[in-house]
Amino acid sequence: MSRIIEAKSLVKTYRRGREEIHALRNVDFQINEGEFVSIIGPSGSGKTALLNVLGCLDTPSGGSLRLNGVETCGLKERELVRVRRDNIGFVFQQFYLMPTLTARENIELPLLFSRKDANKSRIDEVLQMVGLSDRGDHLPGQLSGGEMQRVAIGRALINDPRIILADEPTGNLDSATSKMIFELFRELNRKGLTLVIVTHNLDLARQAQKMYTLRDGQIVGCEDRACVLEGPT
Amino acid sequence: MNFLTLAAKNLLRRRGRTFLTVLGVAIAITVLFSLLSLNSGYEKELNKEMGSLGVHILAVPKGCPYEAASLILHGGVIPKYLTATDLKNVSRIDGIELATPMLMQQFIRQDAKTGKDVPHVVFGIKIDEVRELKPWWKVQGRFFTDGETNVMLVGRGLADKENLTVGSILPAGPFKNFTIIGILDRTGDQDDQFHFVPLTEAQRVFNKTGMLTTIAVKVKDLTQIEKISEEMEKIPDIQVVTMTQIMGTIMNLAGSARSLLFTVIAIALIISAFGIINTLLMSVNERTREFGMMKAIGASGLDIGKMVLAETVFITLVGGLIGTVAAIVGSSLIESFVKGMLPYAPRGTMVSMSPELIGFALIFSVALGLICGLYPAFKSSRLSPMEAIRGGVE
Repeated sequence: MSRIIEAKSLVKTYRRGREEIHALRNVDFQINEGEFVSIIGPSGSGKTALLNVLGCLDTPSGGSLRLNGVETCGLKERELVRVRRDNIGFVFQQFYLMPTLTARENIELPLLFSRKDANKSRIDEVLQMVGLSDRGDHLPGQLSGGEMQRVAIGRALINDPRIILADEPTGNLDSATSKMIFELFRELNRKGLTLVIVTHNLDLARQAQKMYTLRDGQIVGCEDRACVLEGPT
Repeated sequence: MNFLTLAAKNLLRRRGRTFLTVLGVAIAITVLFSLLSLNSGYEKELNKEMGSLGVHILAVPKGCPYEAASLILHGGVIPKYLTATDLKNVSRIDGIELATPMLMQQFIRQDAKTGKDVPHVVFGIKIDEVRELKPWWKVQGRFFTDGETNVMLVGRGLADKENLTVGSILPAGPFKNFTIIGILDRTGDQDDQFHFVPLTEAQRVFNKTGMLTTIAVKVKDLTQIEKISEEMEKIPDIQVVTMTQIMGTIMNLAGSARSLLFTVIAIALIISAFGIINTLLMSVNERTREFGMMKAIGASGLDIGKMVLAETVFITLVGGLIGTVAAIVGSSLIESFVKGMLPYAPRGTMVSMSPELIGFALIFSVALGLICGLYPAFKSSRLSPMEAIRGGVE
């Protein structure tokens, strides 16, 4: 399996007035194509900072990050847009759906930005993939939390990304819905998609193949759960 | 879906605010369109009014200011007089096709209905010569001849107002017992409001024998107006006013009123522009996280900027359309307001609406949108995706 994400000595430092906040301290991190990885850690441990840097939403203060073989450190914003557009799908805790667009239109939105034709059959396929075939014409206000997150996942999938990055995707959902969303992630992973999920929910995090623990901006633990999940042969 | 539908749907999220902003633009464009249409109509109507005079040069008594020439056009009385000698001297000048004498006086007559004293204007004219100047004059009844006495023509507007008909005999005033032998067909200019009598009759009634207030001159070749004016200026007692000068004087007088109107336009547009910018900035600030999400899912800064700009153009274009329609529908109201502000308003309609003007108003409204949208669009396009998602950018 090829390395799809390779981070070496990643550093991210924020300034708040005179104070320096070290969100990431020399993080080394590799993810192979097709892996399902979860990242856990207490609040302020740097989980979201790591996810933002991995998704090229934020630039690291130091170190190196290769995505799909391309060094992203030093790229201009315009080039980072292209990297995000071609490789990454994002899922957020707050869903961030456009309230005036239907589920179908929300899923279609990335196609508009990547100048691709809105292929109806592709949108139908994604709607089916996330289990919303009959809810495509509903506005977000007419959907449940779980359905809204499914729309957000559909939106992340529409551009056929190599990696899905999800930041607390079940943070706003009840436990039953959270399980369903995680089941959807596992299903996508079975189809070959690479997933990196930041979560507080340990039970759900344990369903990933690899679970990284972050504390004070450093990776303090890595549990390879592939053998646990697959069980004894 | 495209950027335009996305922008339109975004605007529908805050319907009330969008409506108020559109209304602000519509009011500004209504004012702009109305005043521009009145401005172009004003000059057109003024030219028409000058043309209907049929005269190229007016000779008036010396010392009479140019502004007095506009009095002549509307029946004001000049307290100085020219003589028959002046007329003879003017007529001798080469290049003049016709020089006709006129005596214009005001008189008071009681209004038949209200009983109030109303000022009226009468022209003593040489009918054959005036008909040469104004070949479009048609009459119900008949024209008088120069030697006739106790006869009068009146304009159609005056006849309608005063219930005068052919055969009416004036019961009072200096023209008591004068018979109305003809009513001029409507000309659409000041002649509709005047009385006309033979020159000798006017001189007799007002005891101004041999006196004239104006000599109206028609030249053979319009390019010679300047040269003929110079020749006429050489005659003592005469001051020459060409129609171009009269127009210029009136336009100067109207200029200050127009400056005021354009100040109103400018203020309306500035207020509207700040309203649009304010609305858009509020909208951009409220949607910071959303823009961050858009960047995360592949939108570039340019895409976000384009979307915000499209929203602005939508607001201004819709506002421009509503404003233009409102200006067309309410033009008569606006015209009466503007006429009250002008020192000299032509009698005809001043509103002149051309497809070019409508096009200009719409293009202007789009340009207004582009200008107002630039800063909000720039601001939103520069948002860092991560900070935008955090909502940390103010």
